[in-house]
Amino acid sequence: MIERRPLPFRSRKAEILTHQTGIKRLSNIFAYARVIAFMLLSATWLIVETGQSDAASHVRAPENAVNLPVDDGPPNTLGTRSDGEIWSDIRHGAVGNPSSSSASGQAIQSLGQDWRLLRENYIVKYAGWFPVGVIGLLLLYFLIRGRMKIASGRSGKTIPRFTLIHRIAHWFTAGVFMILGLSGLIILLGRPVIVPLFGHEVNSIMTSAALQGHNLFGPLFVVALMWMFVKFVRGNFFQLVDFKWIFKLGGLFGGHVSSSQFNFGEKSWFWLLMIVGAVMSITGLVLEFPWFFEDLRLLQASTVLHGIGAVTLICVSLGHIYIGSVGMEGALDSMLIGEVDENWAKEHHDLWYEEVTGKSAKDDTEEGAST
Amino acid sequence: MSFIEFVEGPFYTVAMTIFLLGAAWRVIGIIRIGRKKDISPPKGSAAAGFFKGNLRHFFPRGIFARRTWLHIVGGYGFHLGLFGLMLFAAPHVAFISERITGFGWPTLPRWGFVITAEIAFAGLIVLWVRRISDPVMRLISDWDDHIGTWITFFVMLSGCFAMQESHVFLRATHMLLVNIWLIYFPFGRLMHAFTFFLSRGNTGATYGRKGMNL
Amino acid sequence: MSDQSKADIAVAKFLEHTDGEVASFFEACVHCGECAEACHFHLSTGDPKYTPTYKLLPMVKAYKRDKAPFSSLKKMVGLAPAQVTEEELLEWEPLVYDSCNMCGRCTLVCPMGIDIAGTIRKMREGYAAAGMVPEGLQRSAEFVKKTSSPMGVTIKALQAQIKHQEDITGIPIEVDKKGADYMAIFSSMEIMGYPEVLGAYSKLFKKAGVSWTISSVAYEATNVGVQIGSGPLAKEILQRVVDAAEALEVKHVISPECGHAYGAIRWAGPNMMGRQFNFEVVHIIELLDQLRREGKIPPGKKDDRTMTLHDPCQIIRRGGLLKEPRSLMDGSCGNFVEMKGAGVTNFCCGGGGGVSANPRAEELQTAAFSQKLKQLDGIDNLEAVVVPCGNCRTVFEDGLDAYERDLEIIGLSELIAETLAE
Repeated sequence: MIERRPLPFRSRKAEILTHQTGIKRLSNIFAYARVIAFMLLSATWLIVETGQSDAASHVRAPENAVNLPVDDGPPNTLGTRSDGEIWSDIRHGAVGNPSSSSASGQAIQSLGQDWRLLRENYIVKYAGWFPVGVIGLLLLYFLIRGRMKIASGRSGKTIPRFTLIHRIAHWFTAGVFMILGLSGLIILLGRPVIVPLFGHEVNSIMTSAALQGHNLFGPLFVVALMWMFVKFVRGNFFQLVDFKWIFKLGGLFGGHVSSSQFNFGEKSWFWLLMIVGAVMSITGLVLEFPWFFEDLRLLQASTVLHGIGAVTLICVSLGHIYIGSVGMEGALDSMLIGEVDENWAKEHHDLWYEEVTGKSAKDDTEEGAST
Repeated sequence: MSFIEFVEGPFYTVAMTIFLLGAAWRVIGIIRIGRKKDISPPKGSAAAGFFKGNLRHFFPRGIFARRTWLHIVGGYGFHLGLFGLMLFAAPHVAFISERITGFGWPTLPRWGFVITAEIAFAGLIVLWVRRISDPVMRLISDWDDHIGTWITFFVMLSGCFAMQESHVFLRATHMLLVNIWLIYFPFGRLMHAFTFFLSRGNTGATYGRKGMNL
Repeated sequence: MSDQSKADIAVAKFLEHTDGEVASFFEACVHCGECAEACHFHLSTGDPKYTPTYKLLPMVKAYKRDKAPFSSLKKMVGLAPAQVTEEELLEWEPLVYDSCNMCGRCTLVCPMGIDIAGTIRKMREGYAAAGMVPEGLQRSAEFVKKTSSPMGVTIKALQAQIKHQEDITGIPIEVDKKGADYMAIFSSMEIMGYPEVLGAYSKLFKKAGVSWTISSVAYEATNVGVQIGSGPLAKEILQRVVDAAEALEVKHVISPECGHAYGAIRWAGPNMMGRQFNFEVVHIIELLDQLRREGKIPPGKKDDRTMTLHDPCQIIRRGGLLKEPRSLMDGSCGNFVEMKGAGVTNFCCGGGGGVSANPRAEELQTAAFSQKLKQLDGIDNLEAVVVPCGNCRTVFEDGLDAYERDLEIIGLSELIAETLAE
């Protein structure tokens, strides 16, 4: 018997390659991805190590230093009473004497101090470590498991997955998200990161720039989020098949997982983005237009929620970016050209593949192997 | 000489000169290639067609809009936003009146500036992400398209970074990028800002001559 | 040919035809991709390579390398595009010949108003000069050289058709009548496929009292030279018509119901010959409209079927005859319904610009016709389509056949003749 080769598909594939040089170039980068990943991981470790030793050297007090209770109350509250006593009075309703004439009576409040401590001691202190940790984990995962390949190789035949409007809505949101994420991190981590590394002047400049940028792009995110919701809500409702996905941990550690157009991970990311994104939008607008809100507690709560929400979204988005680019072969196609390889669809979204094409997602070969 | 003095002084002068001379050279160069005189008996006016063609293509036709609406919205949003910022942002008017015209004009209030910038940015981002995610656009785009987009984006971004007007460094960064933009302009696709009227006009003139009412 | 490669010849022609107008197009294109949304080849296949502006790429590269302002400066620093190669030209050849009807719909959507169709016409000059022309078109060109007609219609064949029509109508047609007011030329397609048009002319002109004739040496309107993009061949074909018309001392030459033939003789003609003609060129639609307005061919009983009008690109969009066919239709049809997008934004049939003469492009042409079919399907109970272009007519018939549809196709002159008042 003469072996038949699927020639038309081969030529079609060649055509896709010549006309989509961008993707080709991208996959070249992926070839070196493991090396880059290892280098990045080492670099991260180095930064963490040196950062800690730096921090330790900063903490070491000069020889003639006197121990001052720096973190226990507002500085420079000198007087005959201890900070603890002052705060106790304020909590019981005593009115402070702020130097500003416009802030009458309300300026020093115990909740504000709680907020300040929460922000200084927890959020600002630890927020930066979460994304770094996630990047580390992703690099580690990549080093161990490598790129998730299309098991049966590319078929050369594609099926449409996202329309142009879906893709534009996605990248628009992604673009605004990245600008907001970076500028937000600068605002949040200026003091613990930029000041020790580059000094106050640089921090002041970067924070000024980042704040202006953040405030300008913030409202665009609200629009982008609504656009995303309208365009992507279909197909993102949870289904029974998602439970199976959870039990198999999404195939992250092997095994086949069934899913429809979006799997449990994608759906969770969608709803997380929508819910946390909504919180970010509301708190963000509150913080951008503080003069509309009388209650100081609202603003304080907003900064806390905004910070926690930001770190959550940034961390999860890193995972999303990983799986959509280096992590999985063929995934990026759906957002760049809107079409995915048939074999990719069969392997990752079998139920959707069957729905769209009306064909069975199980290959003849696969079926033979399993029975 | 400080950095800000350099980018607003000699460097700016050089950049502006390159921009003006380069753009003029290129437009004149295109016109000077010339075209053969059309001797077929005309049915209408070519000159009127030139202007009509220029006007007509500002308005998209309804029949195409269903497929191209996002591009129309993005394109107009970006361009109108950019012109709004360029001509009516308070620091720009101050700069132009001090350096070029000697007189100023009404400027956008801060909220107006922010909204205009948001529209311009949204438009530019939509235009660019369309460029990378549409197979047609991926096929026809070249490095010039991307450089033009990104350089404009960075000029705009640095401008909005400097909005607090509290750090000379930020203003200087913006000016530096503006200078680079001015120098790149006459050599790349940004020149469409000047060549569009020739292209629309030439087609308009041909059609006008044929008495076509498009 | 030996010391100069095909690529060199083509590039030299590209540059020669890149005048100030074409240069302004190349300089203004911002790669926005809108043109793809107007092109029936892209719409029906979804293939990005059918984006109109992409079809121009080799010519754009040649211009940017060797003719554009700053090109020498860019070449010096290595930023100019690479030399156009023969492989590249061959790769683009089907894009230039098979997937462009030069219909000009893309110009309407282009924010820069770029006339891509006209530029493709000029680009084909390079291909024709380098001998890179699809076989089908090359064969037509050879026929033309022998018989003056791309389908090989000889004067004997024409005379037989004239005789046949004379028998049907009972009106004699005088060939080679010196001093007639009008000289009619036809497309081969009409003479061989739709000879009724000859009868229609004689009936209408008899009623209107117009003196007309047909030349026995220049009866062919189709200009393969224009389709292939060969200036010299186009001029040679045109020369026959001009010589015959001037020899017969006619006042007007009637361009037939054929798309590109009108543009070839009316607009490109004098420029190709380098002089104005001693006669005026009128399109048959223009003439009929004028005669009707003068009351010389009054409409009688209207055709009451549900009918629509196809707008041949070269006559309507690129020819400027938008209102004339419509007022004629109104007079002759009881139930004239416009297609969605009728008029200047109408879809091409898919066979214009030499595509229908190019067998290699058959599949693509049928695919492109699907857009036309969609327009037709938008009209309820459609019974007939008036197609005032011989070439469009055959494309319609082939297309309807391919999609297994049944619909009557008629020419405009025939419709007017049939509904003429007794």
